[in-house]
Amino acid sequence: MPSPTSNPLREGIANRLSPEPCTLVIFGATGDLTHRKLIPALYNLAAEGALPPALTIIGFARREKTSEQFRKELEESTRKFSRTPLNEELWAQFASSIIYHQSPFDQAEGYTAFARQMEEADRQRGTGGNRLYYLAVAPDQFPVILGHLRESGLSTATPGSWARVIVEKPFGKDLKSAQLLNTLVSEVFPECDTYRIDHYLGKETAQNIMVMRFANSIFESLWDSNHISHVQITAVEPLGVEGRAGYYDTSGAMRDMIQNHLLQLLTLTAMEPPTSLSADAIRDEKVKVLRSLRPLRGDDVFKHVVRAQYTAGLINGQPVPGYREADGVPKDSTTETYVALQVNIDNWRWAGVPFFIRTAKRMPKGGTEIAITFKSVPRVLFNQTGEGLDENVLVIRIQPDEGVSLRMSAKMPGSSLRIEPVKMDFHYGTSFGKATPEAYERLLLDAMSGDATLFARRDEVEEAWAFVDGIEEAWKTRSDDLAFHTAGSWGPAEAADLAARHGVTWRRM
Amino acid sequence: MSFIPGIPVPIGAIEKELGKLWEESGDTKTRASLINLAIYNEKPGSLERNTEIIRGIAGEHAMRAILVQSDPMAEGSSAEAWITMHCYLRGSQGGSVCSEQVSFELSGMAARSLQSVVFSHLDSDLPLCLWWQADFRPPIDGKLWRWVDRLLFDSRHWKNPKDQFDLIRQIAGLAEARTVLCDLNWARSLPVRQALASIFDAPGTLPELEFLGKLEIDHAPGSRTTALLLAGWLADRLGWSLSKPTANPEFCDRNGRTVSVDLNETEGASISRMQLSSGNAEFHLHRESGSDLYVTTATGTDIPTTSRMVRAPREETREILLAELSRGGRHPLYTKAVRAVEGLWT
Repeated sequence: MPSPTSNPLREGIANRLSPEPCTLVIFGATGDLTHRKLIPALYNLAAEGALPPALTIIGFARREKTSEQFRKELEESTRKFSRTPLNEELWAQFASSIIYHQSPFDQAEGYTAFARQMEEADRQRGTGGNRLYYLAVAPDQFPVILGHLRESGLSTATPGSWARVIVEKPFGKDLKSAQLLNTLVSEVFPECDTYRIDHYLGKETAQNIMVMRFANSIFESLWDSNHISHVQITAVEPLGVEGRAGYYDTSGAMRDMIQNHLLQLLTLTAMEPPTSLSADAIRDEKVKVLRSLRPLRGDDVFKHVVRAQYTAGLINGQPVPGYREADGVPKDSTTETYVALQVNIDNWRWAGVPFFIRTAKRMPKGGTEIAITFKSVPRVLFNQTGEGLDENVLVIRIQPDEGVSLRMSAKMPGSSLRIEPVKMDFHYGTSFGKATPEAYERLLLDAMSGDATLFARRDEVEEAWAFVDGIEEAWKTRSDDLAFHTAGSWGPAEAADLAARHGVTWRRM
Repeated sequence: MSFIPGIPVPIGAIEKELGKLWEESGDTKTRASLINLAIYNEKPGSLERNTEIIRGIAGEHAMRAILVQSDPMAEGSSAEAWITMHCYLRGSQGGSVCSEQVSFELSGMAARSLQSVVFSHLDSDLPLCLWWQADFRPPIDGKLWRWVDRLLFDSRHWKNPKDQFDLIRQIAGLAEARTVLCDLNWARSLPVRQALASIFDAPGTLPELEFLGKLEIDHAPGSRTTALLLAGWLADRLGWSLSKPTANPEFCDRNGRTVSVDLNETEGASISRMQLSSGNAEFHLHRESGSDLYVTTATGTDIPTTSRMVRAPREETREILLAELSRGGRHPLYTKAVRAVEGLWT
């Protein structure tokens, strides 16, 4: 007999949890994120029949507009940003589930009316009292929204239903503010219902890191300090601050990229095999990596971290202004747009293996990758000459041109013994021609299904901040270490020196 | 033969000639392969039709394709081979990604030596998917089938499904359950099963599955096996057993109640309508002729009325094959569905 909760027709149809009927409430619904990412992602999920059968989407924002206007605006942006073409019929049905609720975030009456709207949706659409709140607003709006959700009782799920919250980054600006924010959220939603989104984790290639490591014995058996000489994790882009100067100048590359995206990639690269694929088993292992990071504080920071800012230069042959010349950036700003650091993971597996992390704006080209450099073969046989052989390098490209490549040595054809590096290359786009879903599609579906694997847990976020705080504190004590590099160059000489001290050169992307 | 499936090559020199083809193509082409896809057909003109299919899917599922047009009943023995590449532009660099195709026309003795002629040209270490477009014939050649990782076939085209399913079971048994059976007819029904299953995700609908008393399926001419597989799937999932194996059969549910099944032949999509009725509710799936959407509705006295639209894929063989290759995995429910309607295969 079918159990009252499991659909027997679902077996064998999909190998993932089914999302449950719910009301998705987007706070900050008139913003860029909703238009560019969230609604296009939801539309694509709807078109594939992946959304729950009953779903109401309520856009909660301050601007005056009707639901009809809101839907029209979303239709335009979805037409522009959706990865698949907009089908009018499908859109019409999908859009019928979207409602706009206009209210300031700080008015209790707005939440009372909003509560009535959700109850009505439950009755009409069968959303079963399940709520998914998406805070697509600046963190300074969190307290007031969360406070009202609690006071109006909307954060408490009725028996047999659930209430979850998705929090967009930045999760604070340092450890203290992250703890405050986490405490604030935890007073309203328990940790198991809190989903901190880091869209890097929703990318197929980020998810493939674990598959590559733990589903291929040839890699995992070499994945330690006995075989690996060093690791480079890079995320760079040719863009400047592009209208985000207000946020970026108070954040900088360290908080904007390293604390979240790059440390997440580091944990996936360095973690031990989890005991299972459950969300907590995986996140437990990731947290252990963060706890094993050797703290950088005081003078150590200036030995192991390079910060820099771009000055005017050329990108793709076009002149671009320096960071301090960008609109909204103070002329004396010391905010870093480039960070290179060398970190150590003090555990059994990684003792003595330097990890190099680099992020920057206004680089000659963009890309995110993890490069694992293996140790050289002994200096016998083919490695006797002064030049030596190139090491094997395994590169996991996160974006763009997602894939994996392996550099190895091969004999050049001919009567003499000449050995040259060759590259074995796997491109996702070459082997799997079909379009991969956007990260937000996967993450929204996971949140509706109650799967938190690809979301950051509180301790992960706080451990990452604890590490970053040590660096930020040291930086506050002086500013003469801020280096400069020309836009369109691969970074300052100081970064090259940092790598050279370990006998390493930064990879050309 | 008017269609030429590539450059003619001696069978003993296929790999060498493929190598030359790559050398001549320069550095802008990248070879890619996820699988060996061998397609076997005994009808004249199949090389042309199958080349079209490969051209349509190689851009999304890189492979080494091996096409065989065979006439095993012919006198004597002859074997001809051709090679070609299917290339697609990729990325902004202007390079292209290519899949190889080797085509064979075999007759007589050569056609009966499929294993030695064809399978010696597989791309090593990649799985072999064999799409058998002919009828299966006894006796089953164990040596041949043990090579195969995925056996593709389309039960919609079978004139004698009962005998064919029996042979399929023998093949699966021979290969010590290593060969994955992939009936494209089952793959064809997947979007319908997905859409139908999603109806019962809606609150209050699930208990109604226990009380279904009637199932109606409208299928296109020639798609009766697709409809039967769907009925078999529901029967297996809901614990129905076949009680009246007639043209419009009846099942008995777990509680001994009768579930009647109406299969109606009508023009349109292979499955254009399904209706499931319990005493209190009706569940309906519909695809308008020419539409690329399924519309599902649930109505009843104790459930909220819901209606959804989801994209329905095109029913071209290319699309179905591509979906099946991309999906991978085993299909344990397929064998159960076939068994649940065993008495209805004729």
